[in-house]
Amino acid sequence: MAKLINLTINGTPVTVPAGTLVVDAAKKIGIDIPVFCYHPKMEPVGMCRQCLVEIGRPMVDRATGQPVLNEDGSPKLQFMPKLETACTNPVSEGMAVFTETAKAKSGQKEILELLLTSHPLDCPVCDKGGECPLQNLTMEHAADESRFIFDEKHRAEKHVPLGDLIFLDRERCIQCARCIRFQDIIAGEPVLGFYQRGRNTDIVTYGEPGFDSIFSGNTSDICPVGALTTADFRFGARPWELKQAASVCSQCPVGCNVTFNVRREAKAGGGYVIKRVMPRQNEQVNEIWMCDKGRFAGYQYTEAESRLMATPAGLDAAVGQAVAKLVESQSETVFLASGRLANEDLFTLKQLAAALHAKTYLYTQHGGGEFTTAYGLTSGADLGALGKGDTVLVAASDLYNEAPLWHLRLKAAAQRGATLIVAAARATKLDEFASFVVRYAYGDEVATIQALPAKDKIGEAIKNANNLMIFYGSDGLGLAGTTALAQSCAELFSISPVSQLTGSPVSQSASFPVEQLTGKPEDRTTEQPEDRTTEQPENRTTRKSNTGLIGVWSTPNQQGALEMGFRPAENLAAELAGKTVYVIAADPAGDDPALAEALKAAKTVIAQDILTTKTVKLADVVLPAAAFTEREGTYTNGERRVQRFYPAVPTRPGTKADFALLAEVAKGCGIALEGRSPLLVMNRLSTAEPAFSGVSYETLSQPAEQWPLIGRSDLYYGGTSYENKLGLGVTLALQPKADRQSSTVSGLRPKENEFLAVPVTKLYDLGATVAPAKLLSAHIERSAVAALHPVTVEKLGLGAGDQLSVEINGAQFTFRAALDASISTGVVLIPRSMGLAISAPALVKLHAAEKA
Amino acid sequence: MSIAEKYTDEIQAIFAKYPVKRSAVMPLLYLAQRAEGYITKGAMAEIADLLELDVTEVAAIVGFYSMYHDEAAGKYRMQVCTDLSCALRGADAFLENLCQNLGVKVGETTPDGLVTVEAVMCLAGCDKAPMFQLQQGDQVSYHENMTVDKTMELVEALRKSSKQVDE
Repeated sequence: MAKLINLTINGTPVTVPAGTLVVDAAKKIGIDIPVFCYHPKMEPVGMCRQCLVEIGRPMVDRATGQPVLNEDGSPKLQFMPKLETACTNPVSEGMAVFTETAKAKSGQKEILELLLTSHPLDCPVCDKGGECPLQNLTMEHAADESRFIFDEKHRAEKHVPLGDLIFLDRERCIQCARCIRFQDIIAGEPVLGFYQRGRNTDIVTYGEPGFDSIFSGNTSDICPVGALTTADFRFGARPWELKQAASVCSQCPVGCNVTFNVRREAKAGGGYVIKRVMPRQNEQVNEIWMCDKGRFAGYQYTEAESRLMATPAGLDAAVGQAVAKLVESQSETVFLASGRLANEDLFTLKQLAAALHAKTYLYTQHGGGEFTTAYGLTSGADLGALGKGDTVLVAASDLYNEAPLWHLRLKAAAQRGATLIVAAARATKLDEFASFVVRYAYGDEVATIQALPAKDKIGEAIKNANNLMIFYGSDGLGLAGTTALAQSCAELFSISPVSQLTGSPVSQSASFPVEQLTGKPEDRTTEQPEDRTTEQPENRTTRKSNTGLIGVWSTPNQQGALEMGFRPAENLAAELAGKTVYVIAADPAGDDPALAEALKAAKTVIAQDILTTKTVKLADVVLPAAAFTEREGTYTNGERRVQRFYPAVPTRPGTKADFALLAEVAKGCGIALEGRSPLLVMNRLSTAEPAFSGVSYETLSQPAEQWPLIGRSDLYYGGTSYENKLGLGVTLALQPKADRQSSTVSGLRPKENEFLAVPVTKLYDLGATVAPAKLLSAHIERSAVAALHPVTVEKLGLGAGDQLSVEINGAQFTFRAALDASISTGVVLIPRSMGLAISAPALVKLHAAEKA
Repeated sequence: MSIAEKYTDEIQAIFAKYPVKRSAVMPLLYLAQRAEGYITKGAMAEIADLLELDVTEVAAIVGFYSMYHDEAAGKYRMQVCTDLSCALRGADAFLENLCQNLGVKVGETTPDGLVTVEAVMCLAGCDKAPMFQLQQGDQVSYHENMTVDKTMELVEALRKSSKQVDE
């Protein structure tokens, strides 16, 4: 614990840890010191000079080393001749800060006047107007009138596309460098810079494509003026017209907290329309950031043209048909559901399937989930707390593409001193920040992980870790490969002392009394609802909260499905033949021609989805569901944190939330299930599922004060991210350990003229939840490449960017060839969800595509 | 030809001087400038690759210093400081008159290709404004307390001497 320092600010005493900056110390006691360049997530630079204050420090007699006292015995203060910046000065003992004196106020006022000499007066048409720090601080601190001549204002370009997502207004920029520093320090992609000096200073990007970063949208949030605006929102709406709806991003397993901004529009017939997605603060999940995929593709798919609308016969008729099929098939039914469903949907499905004695499978190619429910993270986990002494292993995952915010937070953890081990078959963006990079050949994943403890320094880092966190992905792996990888990762916990971690597991009994798990209900305080570790008896768990295994899933709620016992089928196609197949929120037919065939061979296909997928097209019965933006529910993120999302727009006519549809179908089958509200479903879920014990909509929506203070009226301080008023979520309890399996994965050996094709994940792909985002089309197009070793490309008589034909199971598919010198010459990386069905490593033939 | 091919030995010598690779950015930029008279975008990208920097980081250095150039120019670059202190001592009027006398606008080159007039930020000669720095290749000279007449004389002298060299 850092030493505590006592000081006074405007006469109010305050005690803060040593190293705290004056501006933050003031913030803690509600005193606002205006800032532009300072941001609490970044080191201060003192560039804008807006935070000028008077700082007095106790005088010390140099001869005696004793404090000099006033006549009244109080310490005599020494002031600098000029004002000082509150953002660059750390607190010191006995310091007296004055932010409201005439001298300080005049300093602040003059800086604002200088900034405004050159700032356009276009607030009425500026997108930032209404949530603009410069506008607010001007109203609060500046002179009423400008002494400068309007005609002599600085003129500059006003609509400069830095990339296709972010626009720069050069006139409005006040050169605070927040965007430049964010890209450099936080995103680790220094693609913005200052060009020239003085009044000519411009923000520039020189890379190709422009503003080449997946975190670019955040620069617009922290821009204290209207200089950086996003392509989706600029000229779209005024901030004061917008209503807020708290939600959770559905694009990846991180579960970034977001806020949808909505308003009613004449264009939409007076209906509610989502205008933008903004990050919502959750320091333990996404802090105040989000990635561009979440921002620019976050909800667009729910408004896609392919959105499934009410069938002509009406929803009741469709439910009736589904009921008839299920009543007939009973246990000959197979339910297939993905992690796109909310916890409440999955639980309702589980009950329906159990009542029908039908089989249920999780639709995923990413296995090993049974290990994450037993070895996953527990309450109190926070990637932001990883640091010196902690070890993080990232195995077979390209987090930059698969879960960008985890990439961001692990980069920061490594920079704080955590040992970051990246084991991957190819170079990934995280390598740059890793302490150790372990490169293996595709197919050697398990052997590589098993060999890690024997490696000198890496073995030490794993064995002696204070906390050991392991992320495992599916880079180049299918279902069998990921399952084996998960097991080998889970085994690493047994060599580390942090591994007495599983303690005694929670009972699997459905009637498990809540008291046993969490202490007596009345002992539960509401102060820290998310922290259950401390409430558990000591013998229950000795593990550290930042220790555990995390699956880098492709859907927002695969973890929730796993916790409820959903598992993928080893050979899905074989399970479907002759059965009544009820597919929910999944598109097996679109993903894989083999599964399309299998569905055609099924007796009946019932499809429940929000989009018109290939599966929906070949289904006998179609049930249109409500999107996550139109309903309430919860997702369990990869860190096992259950988080609530709220409705942003009304449910479309003729659609219903998945759990409600399932409950109606169940009702038709004579099974009584809760379908009235997700809150009631959660109440049942938390009683029936041990892992969810103690989770309720009440505990989920408990906010807690977070640092830094973001999103209040003081937008100038942290930016326009929203404050979290609706809950930080609750982390699940651990489940019993999975049985060890002795699964072996047979390695594929390419014959002559054959290549090993492995699936890799791209951030921007043609998946159903991304492709409808029109703004991202150029980014998706750039991702549609098959990567090969440069030597292989040359041997095939190709160059980078040339068309490459991939022949798999007799089918041909064309990609542009890309170079990746970090892989072996016999491998080709095939992007998932880019048109070519590839769920596991496969052997393919490659040749130059014939020119059309 | 790329800088790496053209100046292989020099680049190795520069690398040897710096324990941290990125520190070599400024000498490498001078090499690139020597090659073309200014630094092309291609050269910035190449230097970024060599030093494992982002091209924008390299460009930002070119943009900051008035002794790096991102555009072709005449034989001499006459860079007049127009920052606040110089402006107060008449730099703006000096620059305007000078341009009129030379028949060019700021940023343009005289028709004979001799002098390019540029306006730049602080050159640290505040007390001796109007002032400019004259650059030719690696050579730089300061000309302080200037008048337009004195400057035109200087231009004439430059014109003569460069003709003599050409002949």
